[in-house]
Amino acid sequence: MYKRILAAVNEFTNSEIAAKYAVFLAKSCRAKLLLVFVAEDKLDKSTFRRAESALERLFIEAEDNDIDIESITEKGDPFKKISEIVRRNSIDIVFTATRRGDTEKGFFAKTLAREFMVKLMCSVAMVRVVRMSRGYPGNILVPVRGRMTHIEEKAGFVAGLAEAFNSSVTLFHLSDPITGFFHGEIHLKPAEREEHIPKDIVQFADFLHRYKVYHEKKIAYGAVSRSITIEAAHKRNDLIVMGASERSLLKSIVSGNPVEQVLRETPCNLIVLRPRPQHP
Amino acid sequence: MKIQSLPKEDVFKSLLTSEAGLTEEEARGRLHEYGLNEIKEVRKKPLYLKFISQFTHFLAILLWIAAFLSFLSEYHHPGEGMLTLGAAIIAVIFINAVFTFIQEYRAEKALEVLKKLLPFYVKTLRDGREDDIHAEEVVPGDIILLTEGDKVPADARLIESSGLKVNNAPLTGESYPISRSHDPFDGEFFESFNIVFAGTTVVSGSGRAVVFSTGMTTEFGRIAHLTSGVEPGLSPLQKEIIKATRLLATIAAAVGIFFFSMGFLIGRSFWENFIFAIGITVALIPEGMLPTMTLSLAIGSQRMAKRKALIKTLTSVETLGAVTVICTDKTGTLTQNKMAVARIWVNNQVIDTKYASKENAAGILRIAYFCNNARFLDGQYKGDPTEAALFKAARETLGDLHAERIKEIPFDSERKRMTTVHAVFPAPALEKRSPAAFSLLEAGGGGVVTFTKGATENVLPLCAYMAINGERVSMNDNLKRKITNGYHALTDMGLRVLSFAYKEIEGPSPPEDIESDMVFAGLIGIEDPPRPEVPEAIRRCSEAGIKVIMITGDGSRTALAIAREIGLVKGNPVVVEGREFNAMTDDQLRESLSFEDVIFARMTPKHKMRIVSILRDEGEIVAVTGDGVNDAPALKKADIGIAMGISGTDVAKEASDIVLLDDNFATIVNAVEEGRTIYENIKKFITYIFASNIPEAVPYLAYILFRIPLPLTVIQILAVDLGTDMLPALAIGAEKPTPGVMKQPPRKLKERLLDFPLIVRSYLFLGPIEAAACMFGFFYVLYYGGWAWGEMLLPEDLLYLQATTACLTAIVITQIGNVFACRSSRESVFRIGVFSNKLIFWGILIELLLQLFIVYHPSGNRLFGTAPVGLNVWLILIPFSAGLLLAEEMRKARARRRRG
Repeated sequence: MYKRILAAVNEFTNSEIAAKYAVFLAKSCRAKLLLVFVAEDKLDKSTFRRAESALERLFIEAEDNDIDIESITEKGDPFKKISEIVRRNSIDIVFTATRRGDTEKGFFAKTLAREFMVKLMCSVAMVRVVRMSRGYPGNILVPVRGRMTHIEEKAGFVAGLAEAFNSSVTLFHLSDPITGFFHGEIHLKPAEREEHIPKDIVQFADFLHRYKVYHEKKIAYGAVSRSITIEAAHKRNDLIVMGASERSLLKSIVSGNPVEQVLRETPCNLIVLRPRPQHP
Repeated sequence: MKIQSLPKEDVFKSLLTSEAGLTEEEARGRLHEYGLNEIKEVRKKPLYLKFISQFTHFLAILLWIAAFLSFLSEYHHPGEGMLTLGAAIIAVIFINAVFTFIQEYRAEKALEVLKKLLPFYVKTLRDGREDDIHAEEVVPGDIILLTEGDKVPADARLIESSGLKVNNAPLTGESYPISRSHDPFDGEFFESFNIVFAGTTVVSGSGRAVVFSTGMTTEFGRIAHLTSGVEPGLSPLQKEIIKATRLLATIAAAVGIFFFSMGFLIGRSFWENFIFAIGITVALIPEGMLPTMTLSLAIGSQRMAKRKALIKTLTSVETLGAVTVICTDKTGTLTQNKMAVARIWVNNQVIDTKYASKENAAGILRIAYFCNNARFLDGQYKGDPTEAALFKAARETLGDLHAERIKEIPFDSERKRMTTVHAVFPAPALEKRSPAAFSLLEAGGGGVVTFTKGATENVLPLCAYMAINGERVSMNDNLKRKITNGYHALTDMGLRVLSFAYKEIEGPSPPEDIESDMVFAGLIGIEDPPRPEVPEAIRRCSEAGIKVIMITGDGSRTALAIAREIGLVKGNPVVVEGREFNAMTDDQLRESLSFEDVIFARMTPKHKMRIVSILRDEGEIVAVTGDGVNDAPALKKADIGIAMGISGTDVAKEASDIVLLDDNFATIVNAVEEGRTIYENIKKFITYIFASNIPEAVPYLAYILFRIPLPLTVIQILAVDLGTDMLPALAIGAEKPTPGVMKQPPRKLKERLLDFPLIVRSYLFLGPIEAAACMFGFFYVLYYGGWAWGEMLLPEDLLYLQATTACLTAIVITQIGNVFACRSSRESVFRIGVFSNKLIFWGILIELLLQLFIVYHPSGNRLFGTAPVGLNVWLILIPFSAGLLLAEEMRKARARRRRG
């Protein structure tokens, strides 16, 4: 799985909490962890100190967990600096936090999070922190689509977190209901829905099985983003892990973007995973 | 790491805060990161978009095309009335959209009520200073200071507490004060005594807590999220309307295109065919169906209100009729919520309360009297119903007693017991005293005694002795077995059982001392009698194929006994208790729910939504009752959420579809009967409306096939569909329930509103008779006016106007016979009573007045292209109406014979 994990840290608490997920994944994958703080120009001292304190706390926590850890502080443009570090250190995955303000911008335009998601040549886990602390996730909700890409990496990522937190996993698949023009929606019972589980999800579940992660599958109908947030609220999930949107900008404008909608309304912390691009 | 299990220092560490609280700068930053501590509505489709969608469904699109073609036709061939037609079609689209929107509209106010449960201001500690801030500015890591009367603004972990008690009713539904303390706790999050939740209230004491969740991420926010986010989806009727309109629109479009093409083949001009195509399309669309349905549902909701069920969403009226499962609370809904002491268990024997006396039950009743907060004021027992019942039994047996209460440890849901300490004078005759105890009480002329009452599993472990026939005997396994047997004997009678104990102490003592080595005094069984009408309502549900699932906070034996008493279960039902429920997977729960008789005991409202979700997944139409704030998500999730009008919270009422004004289960069953009746009636008036589509369509077919003047104009069709037909149809919608309506199973999901028998009856039986009448009327006027076959008449020709008027009048007259025919599908109208629905006669009267206006008033003539006709025209059409009714009676008689 991942051998080198980078967590971008800054003065905000959500970046520290996002980095904690990286700490746990590093522990589970026995990976090296790089904690990186890039101070932008004109950063005031107190902000700098807060970020440094966060680095220090994370460093101690990582060390306590016997993780091979390195802390880097640089000055300059965060994206450029982190891109360089990613290249220089052959980083497999970058953890970055997205702020509340980012989610309010349509399509994350002009945000650092979007730059990371679009331009970094490694995998990116964008973490939306809405809850500071309650406990480790007992169950991770993983919304999955019928047609998936990077199944092995996604399953490995989920399995790594599940192992780190000793959590179970719920694979949540939302499909379009079977409809007929004159018959309307045809109701299928859960047992009947099982017969319609797409192959990719079965394969994803097989991977989880191989990683010995306890998981259950749930199939539901309805609006994607709404159903995910309702499920998470109903089952009191503490973490949602979902794949990044593969919708084009045009399709997002026309039909909306479920990932963005979940980011806005999630009742618990959320990690959006964008796997490593196929063609560098 | 769990927030509840951390020591204070680690709580600070995990939330990046300190004993002095956050700095103002850090708090500002966190406010920016995490947002305001507020309850927000989940983004939904705006109301205006919902309204606009009523103009874009398949039927509406078809009508838009028809309107557009009408305007196009007017542009190319002005003066043929196509402008009026186009405008009329657009009016139809608007009328249907408005009425459908009214059906689906529901005011969403639950969140507004929820918001009122959060405080406006809260005392926080920032930079080491106490300050009052707006509650919405509270952020994770803030230290909040809580004192008596405060509302908790966010989910927080206690770090200091002093006698802190909170009321968690908005989250748990239980209004007992619950003790909270700051010590770390290794158990489950929701059972943690060191957590305070947003929306709850501090009843007494004080404390400091560190906020870890704000706004929509709190437990309270979770309820808001589920309440505003859960959408139950379309009601069964809405689904059927969509299917029906798609079917009708397709038929209309197909017939229009088919005959348009045929017209070409037989050499008709393009514009003749065009008029025909639009006409046949309009004729086959029952424009009045949706408005009539909406009005009928509105009338149904008025009828239900008279039966004490207040309807909040119109479609719920019909959904009730489709309900297959009712999940109901017990206390107050199936039972009267009038508690009374029924049995007392002392000295290993059960005493009927009627025979309780100072001689056989003084000791236990004395505890019931003192360890009690109910009072007798103004001739009434006031207080919690259980306490009032105990106080009444004690007072009526022992009379008024006096003692000074020194201390009270109130009941809470964790301890499940209440303890009071009293200075008693004279000494209570609880037992024959041991010399030591006797001297203790007598020395000062009285004594200090601790009294405890509560759940047996929580009181019995405190007891080292038991009072038997006035002797204090050391507790042993044999005695415990006898107590357990006594407990089971009482619960098997359907009684809620409380245990009673006491202890003589020397003076002020710590709680652990006053509640140890107690003397077990006995058990009292309290009954909450079932509502008298409930057994009959349960029987009706059983006959109607509706499964009733009881969900109660009571123990399983009590629940089972009540269920048996009201006839809810017969054999050995599946009983699922709260703890077991929590451990079950969805598949296991699904299996339990598949059994015929299921009872859920020791449940809390938060469990309901899971039950409702699984039942709905299985294709059931679910009604659920609720009264608490945390019932709201389940009420929203269910097909029908039923809130209690008397005991229900405002949040539950706002989240529900129906409010029961009397909290009575029997009212639900009455409402189901009304719902089923409304569905039956909708089918009846659809048959009535559809029958008139055939005489509206046949003139167009005759026009295109036989080259005759058009016997009926499109405007005249609309006069029937949106005018004369409407009130008689509505009158059918007000038919009373047929006797067997609650003796048949709920209709199946596959059953269509427009089913084959309905279409055959209206299109192939009733419709053709009406069509024959209208063609007869048309030709009767033409022939008597000197018309010859093949002669084409100008649209303004008086003879032509009179002929189309006769055609229209024929439809109106035959629809009078039809309205009686459609009052039932099998029963003879003479058996159900010709005059049993007086609204029918009002409907017919208004129908006739409208027709008289159309035929004889100049404005009616101008608007609908009609001309006055003689009485003879009316008279020659009446036999058709009578014939239709007669033919229908014969068909019904045959159908009855076939059915046996």
